[in-house]
Amino acid sequence: MAEVQTIENVACGFCGLGCDDLAVEVEGRAIRARAPVCPEAARLLRRIDVPDPVARVAGEEAGPTDAARVAHQILAAARSPLIGGFGADMAGAGALVDLAIRFGGVLDHYASDGLFRNYAAAQRTGWLSTTLAEVRNRCDVLLVVGDDPAATWGRLFERLFPATPLFADQGRTVVFLGGAPGEKASAQLAGASIVHHASADPVAALEALGSLVAGRRPPGESFGGIGAEALAALAEKLRNAHYAVVTWNAAELDDGDLVAERATALVDTLNLSTRGGVFPLGGRDNIIGANQLLLWRLGYPFRTAVRGQASAHDGALFATQAALADADVLVWVSAFRPEPPPDLAAMNFTGKLIALAHPETVFDTEPDVLIPVGTPGVDHAGTVFRMDSIVSLPLGALRVATLPSVAEAVRRIAEG
Amino acid sequence: MRLRLKGGRVLDPANGENGVAAGAMRDIEIEDGRIVAPTGLKADAEYDLGGDVVMAGGIDLHSHIAGGKMNLARLLMQEDRRAFPEMPGNFCGCGGGRAVPTAHATGCRYAELGYTTVFEPAMLGANARGAHLEMADIPNLDTGAYLVLGNDDYFQRLLAAGAGQEQVNAYVGWMIEATQAFAIKIVNPGGINAFKFNARKMDLDEANPHYGVSPRKVLTTLIRAVTELGLPHPIHLHGCNLGVPGNDETTLATILATEGRRLHLTHLQFHSYGTEGDKRFSSSAARIAEMVNANPNISVDVGQVMFGQTVTASADYMSQYRNRGLASPKKSIGMDIELDAACGVVPFEYKDKSFVNALQWAIGLELFLLVEDPWRIFLTTDHPNGGSFTTYPHLIRLLMDRDFRNAQLATLNKAAQAHTLLAQITREYTLEEIAILTRAGPARILGLKDKGHLGPGAVADIAVHAEDADREAMFSAARLVFKGGRLIVKDGVVVELAQGTTHVARPDFDRSVDTDMQRWFDEAVGLKAQHFRVSDGELRNGAGPTILKCEGGAS
Repeated sequence: MAEVQTIENVACGFCGLGCDDLAVEVEGRAIRARAPVCPEAARLLRRIDVPDPVARVAGEEAGPTDAARVAHQILAAARSPLIGGFGADMAGAGALVDLAIRFGGVLDHYASDGLFRNYAAAQRTGWLSTTLAEVRNRCDVLLVVGDDPAATWGRLFERLFPATPLFADQGRTVVFLGGAPGEKASAQLAGASIVHHASADPVAALEALGSLVAGRRPPGESFGGIGAEALAALAEKLRNAHYAVVTWNAAELDDGDLVAERATALVDTLNLSTRGGVFPLGGRDNIIGANQLLLWRLGYPFRTAVRGQASAHDGALFATQAALADADVLVWVSAFRPEPPPDLAAMNFTGKLIALAHPETVFDTEPDVLIPVGTPGVDHAGTVFRMDSIVSLPLGALRVATLPSVAEAVRRIAEG
Repeated sequence: MRLRLKGGRVLDPANGENGVAAGAMRDIEIEDGRIVAPTGLKADAEYDLGGDVVMAGGIDLHSHIAGGKMNLARLLMQEDRRAFPEMPGNFCGCGGGRAVPTAHATGCRYAELGYTTVFEPAMLGANARGAHLEMADIPNLDTGAYLVLGNDDYFQRLLAAGAGQEQVNAYVGWMIEATQAFAIKIVNPGGINAFKFNARKMDLDEANPHYGVSPRKVLTTLIRAVTELGLPHPIHLHGCNLGVPGNDETTLATILATEGRRLHLTHLQFHSYGTEGDKRFSSSAARIAEMVNANPNISVDVGQVMFGQTVTASADYMSQYRNRGLASPKKSIGMDIELDAACGVVPFEYKDKSFVNALQWAIGLELFLLVEDPWRIFLTTDHPNGGSFTTYPHLIRLLMDRDFRNAQLATLNKAAQAHTLLAQITREYTLEEIAILTRAGPARILGLKDKGHLGPGAVADIAVHAEDADREAMFSAARLVFKGGRLIVKDGVVVELAQGTTHVARPDFDRSVDTDMQRWFDEAVGLKAQHFRVSDGELRNGAGPTILKCEGGAS
């Protein structure tokens, strides 16, 4: 038996919150995270000591060189590849952009719906935003729109509400506008006052709140299921805050673009007299980092097509679903978790599938080429960005890699 | 590998050589990426320069080329990217944009102008890793970054608690090393922090609403810190009250506050505004230039305004928020960042028919022409804030050609023409002075001993320009550019992509500060100090930085 080794201060790259204080037990090739860790990270870090699967070509086991060669041939013959999934660290993302420049291709991330709902607001009017350490220390009124985000970001409120913030030490209030806070959120918010306004229509509530904060009383008794008086009191609380923050998860809100727009407008009004910012949630599987890389390499965010040595961006046309209709090859990349591609049969996709995938990924359709890849922060080192797009984290390797990284796998494909 | 550049007129002010004035031609020899004394040995390649002007590669000491705020600008101003698509002959398909070009386009456009080294002047510690990743993707340029300090809560707390200079020095040293920075930048000293506590303006002697610390205290403490740590570049200061009419008084008071210690005032144009005239906006360039001339401890860059669409991006959220009503198109981004600093992104169109914009243009040129010592003033547009760096050739012509300058002035807003003494200034920059402003001077103020000149031992970053009486045409397209001895531009077109390096400064400091930094990051920031730190191997795809070891020590 291998000795159990405990590694402290492990950084986690899965959900975008960027916790970096995990303790992880490594025993040979087996890995188990200890507290503090959220259930999601514990599940995604867990490894048992089994041999890694090998590459497959058309369902048959193949050597890495053969798999890369076949993938190269498929891409060389492709008319319109889509590089999707995009669950990769910064080095992997860079290699995928190189691949698109070489063979052409549309670039999108599987979790980009939330990002683009937010961009609808950010690109039209801009916004005033803030980052984790600012919320953690300054925010005295936090408005959470939609469902309790602790289900997705298990340690969010623990990170945002430490026992001793630098400034917001005169009472902190968290207002849930939408779903009720769960047990986890309530426990992590033990030091704060919690208020819940149930609402099935947070857009209407936010809009009325925006008017009230601006000093206008909209006609009506109730907005989005919240009484006018309660909203007026909330508006007063926000106006009197030293540093108010509005947060939401656009990916989980049907009207995420409208929530982003109304929240942006609300924060804009607040900043005329006090301070505050929006704190949009997201950032799964380094989507923010890869998007940053696309912005500096191509000048465009995700949903960009590279063709004939030029790039074009269209948030609708080059979204995965729409782009699949025109694609003849899908390169599916998911190194952080076994995220399968969308249901290709249901979408009448008849092209080739090249998968650079987490070894536990279950496919409805057998890929034409399957190259299992290692996980950043488990099998190899890498860099990922946090959800705020400013802070990035170096992930370390927890064990000796037997699988290639996305960057390595892509380089082999490019070489053919 | 030995190269020989034959028969050039060498313009090398750092070594006192002016082959243009003397009409003298000579060869320059390169061995393994460095300039060497001429030998009779056979060269692997020779280039016949036919009397063309040979200078060291250009060095831009203040141009926003990387970091989160540039990506926010790209995101906000997709119009800029669409309006300036990939150039023909672009061989990696990822270039575009003008105000906020992509990393690739930044490297290529700078190289075509003969520039080989560019410094990002506002890297936030919280964003350092991202900025370094982005810089690694800029081809053909060596880079480096100035760390924004002075608005961070750790530093403000130190000052509020009355910490000694030694403690401050240890902190500054730790931060420079952790973020792989080259120098310290202060942006609106203490003002960005005060804005987080809802202060809307901050004068030099105003107290921070929470810490009670004044910008003067921030400035003088950090000036001492970089002096005692032995950093080669002085404090790089974006002063208080950027863009506010009447900020001339703040600027003059700031120069006096240095008490003779070295200080670099950046984008001085934006800090040279008076309140005279019926529009309460006037030029104070003459007053300020006089003060700069009288204080040899002061260096400046101009931040010239050039007409057209751009996007302004700055850590000075306080000022950017104040100016966001002027946004064109009407949208802007602001962000408070990590107990560290902030940023504001505001698109802007400088219009030649606007009184204010035309006068800003004139104020910048007045500063260029009235500051006498070319070794203490540098050519910048504060890219992209005053305009894109791609306008440098036009700016050079404005400085070198009085008739051209006055003809341009005559087309501007009439009231602005009446408020500037530009038409009366007869000075025309010489080629040698341009070489000082754009290479020799920046190398000296940055302490880069093997750059900015063409003597033996210098890095073979070389720009060759065919002389042309139209100086804009001359500087728009270098005939040849060598980066570390490799030919990267031929006849104004990029022919190869070279991987540059990143310059960092390494001071000695008291490492016992590490314990307190760990505590601060754990408790306040909520991030481990070890993950905040950027390691050498994270720079330039594993190649690591070029380290300038500071002489000074932890005194």
